[in-house]
Amino acid sequence: MNGWTGKIVKVDLGRGTQEDVPVSDAARRRYLGGRGLGVRLYADLCPVLTDPLAEENALLFMTGPLTGTLMTSGRTQVISRSPLTGTICDSSSGGSFGAALKGAGIDGLVVQGRAPKPVYLRIHEGGVEVRDAAAFWGLDTQQTQKGLQEEAGGKASVACIGPAGENRVPFAAIMNDKDRAAGRGGLGAVMGAKNLKAVAASGSRPVDIADPAGYKDLASRVDRAVDKNPVTGKSLQVLGTSVLVNIINAHGMYPTENFRRGVFNDAEGTSGEKIAETLLLRQSSCFKCPIGCGRTTRTKDKHGEGPEYETVWAFGANLGISDLAAIAEANYACNELGLDTITMGGTLGCAMELAEAGAWPGGPRWGEAGKLADWVTETAHRRGMGAELALGSKRLAAKYGRPELAMQVKGMEIPAYDPRGAQGMALSYATSNRGGCHMRAYLVAPEVLGHPVFLDRFSTAGKAELVALFQDVSAVVDSAVLCRFLQFAVGISTFAEMLRVVTGLDFGDEELMSVGRRVYTLERLFNNRAGFGRADDTLPPRFFNEEFQTGSSRHRRVRLEEMLDDYYAVRGWDRDGRPRPHTLAELGL
Amino acid sequence: MIELDRAALVKMIDHTELSAHSGEKKIANLCAEARSFGFYAVCVNGAYASYAKKSLAGSGVLLCVVAGFPLGAGTSSAKAFEAGEAVRNGADEVDMVVNVGALRDKKHDLVRDDIRAVVEASRPALVKVILETCYLMDEEIVAGCTLSVEAGAQYVKTSTGFGPFGAFPDHVKLMRRTVGPDIGVKAAGGIKNFKDAWRLIQAGASRLGLSASVGVVEGLSLYKFAPAAWLEEEIPCHICPSRFANLDKQPKAVYAYYKKKCLECPHVATYNKFYE
Repeated sequence: MNGWTGKIVKVDLGRGTQEDVPVSDAARRRYLGGRGLGVRLYADLCPVLTDPLAEENALLFMTGPLTGTLMTSGRTQVISRSPLTGTICDSSSGGSFGAALKGAGIDGLVVQGRAPKPVYLRIHEGGVEVRDAAAFWGLDTQQTQKGLQEEAGGKASVACIGPAGENRVPFAAIMNDKDRAAGRGGLGAVMGAKNLKAVAASGSRPVDIADPAGYKDLASRVDRAVDKNPVTGKSLQVLGTSVLVNIINAHGMYPTENFRRGVFNDAEGTSGEKIAETLLLRQSSCFKCPIGCGRTTRTKDKHGEGPEYETVWAFGANLGISDLAAIAEANYACNELGLDTITMGGTLGCAMELAEAGAWPGGPRWGEAGKLADWVTETAHRRGMGAELALGSKRLAAKYGRPELAMQVKGMEIPAYDPRGAQGMALSYATSNRGGCHMRAYLVAPEVLGHPVFLDRFSTAGKAELVALFQDVSAVVDSAVLCRFLQFAVGISTFAEMLRVVTGLDFGDEELMSVGRRVYTLERLFNNRAGFGRADDTLPPRFFNEEFQTGSSRHRRVRLEEMLDDYYAVRGWDRDGRPRPHTLAELGL
Repeated sequence: MIELDRAALVKMIDHTELSAHSGEKKIANLCAEARSFGFYAVCVNGAYASYAKKSLAGSGVLLCVVAGFPLGAGTSSAKAFEAGEAVRNGADEVDMVVNVGALRDKKHDLVRDDIRAVVEASRPALVKVILETCYLMDEEIVAGCTLSVEAGAQYVKTSTGFGPFGAFPDHVKLMRRTVGPDIGVKAAGGIKNFKDAWRLIQAGASRLGLSASVGVVEGLSLYKFAPAAWLEEEIPCHICPSRFANLDKQPKAVYAYYKKKCLECPHVATYNKFYE
């Protein structure tokens, strides 16, 4: 079989059994792999209201047909129901873990059940072994990866949890290849609930390619496109994702102190340019990636990876902190302990506003840079103030009687673009299938960066169609399993061409877009059945009721209602946000 | 509205690499992309004409080489020699820069002769005359177009891409109106995505010069799935040269001319306010 290996293994940690999961050729064509096929399999395996931390819940590690082939193809998609949001959730991680799974001969791994004691899974070309992980339980992600790599003779790529996952913090991350993270949605807690400390994979089985000559030509073409594009070929390489700090701040939509302002006066001091001048040791890259957006940095006492744009913001402007070293060290702590930096920072921002408002008198205070790393550590271990912070912002704000102070959608904290400065981004956040997330439809590209078309960021016109389009293209890329940054350099036709040369299947633009639409609609169906509807496709009241008084997004509010009905119409959903029967029939759902 | 498909779009594109710092690797990549996408031509500096010609062998992609680039302020004989040498090195088309200063001084005979010298030295290659519209007022653009046609050029072109701004629909419309349907109009400079390209084509451009060609073609593949977002009426100031006028980089008379246009613009009350 070209592209796919044709093998997905299901391991039941409770029963100690293994079996292959049958997947038809038709299903592969309709869902590709990664996020798409993962969500399909999850929906088939688990009832909608399965408790994310219950033993019967499933956790999937998925590759796609392009994994292990062209550039940026080392990624993995992790899928389950989120303990943070209750929605279907997929989380994408870079590095080379996906390529290692594929090299071991499997397209995906499904984990169900709960092991009676801590275990890890060792995957190689000979199969999947369940091994004792008692010696690793309690270790951080770096120690765990180092130890398991030593056990594997230095060849394995390891995905693991740290103490946060073990303690089932609902925004615990799964870390792989040192500091790459499947961060959002708390799937590390699902892993911890299964007593599964890690998955270590290795293998060198090559991916079968349908058209080797076409593959070679296309690889060169994509390489040139990436090199030439100013985002992938220059900005991300030289300054990393934090190149955005000054740009977003200049647009007056850089959320400051829990989204109360859109301009951070100290932005320059935490920018990508400043990181390059002060902390940067070297650029770092994932598997076969010519972009290399990663930053390996060091402070006076520590070193590690990051901070990336979202993290610089989450621990910086969002908390009124401009101490770059403290931000970096909080980032290192999240990596080591296995926590999502966006939700950690979003929760701290909420906590600081609760404290300032007197709702949580003992809560943390704005600008306390010296305590950042300690708060992270306490959260991972659920002790001290961390016992409260580990709730996440939605539950924390509700507990202290001020739910409106949690900057979240469907329970997931909103990242570093204030939606008052970009109406399309507001719609994107509100309709995201996994909650407040910028990765479902990155409307910042057209509304701020002018890619692939420059749109008036304050207008709502045309945004519904574009959000749906971006959501669908993103679902395609997550299902073929490549890095989203490629979307800056190439479009849907090139993704179709990639699939053709690797799998031999001629998708064409239209069929490929219908794959994206099918995946997005399936996720929506799942969420509908889990109780999410129009009332959940919204934003915190701050964005509708409060305006910035300064900056270039001043005097603006989100006008979601102008877009939501259009969006549902474009999607073929009814006014309550439920896919209509003819939409389901069209997509074969 | 002019309908566009991928095949038609790629045949309007001169895939361009004219940076001072570009070496052979960039030119090789440029030619490989042009071959892969089937662009109409590649456009390079004279030093890379022979290299590009070899790289394009058998592809059907034409070679365009610039002369008097980017200032247009050299002597006519120097421009003519540069053009002739480009053609001897394989150029199918020559993009020359007009003597902008002479055009602004209304030395029309000099301008016409300058263009004619290049046209004659370039035969049988086709000649496009870059007016560098960012330094010109409308009546000078009209004069530049007229003189180009009188001198035997087959195309007029907006910009080098090195000036304070590039191609705008208003300029392309004016140039098309002036030269009529039988002379080509090439829009170049600042074309970054499909919408930029689409706008200029709607305004009357028959050829586009850009380095972001791949992105433009990829943009077309997305446009067809969400045309409303691309076709949404836009704020006119965003695509008006007056908004991009720059006192540091333009002659003060030209800057003042563009700013004066704002005062007479019907959109002034609606849009000409502090916006972003």
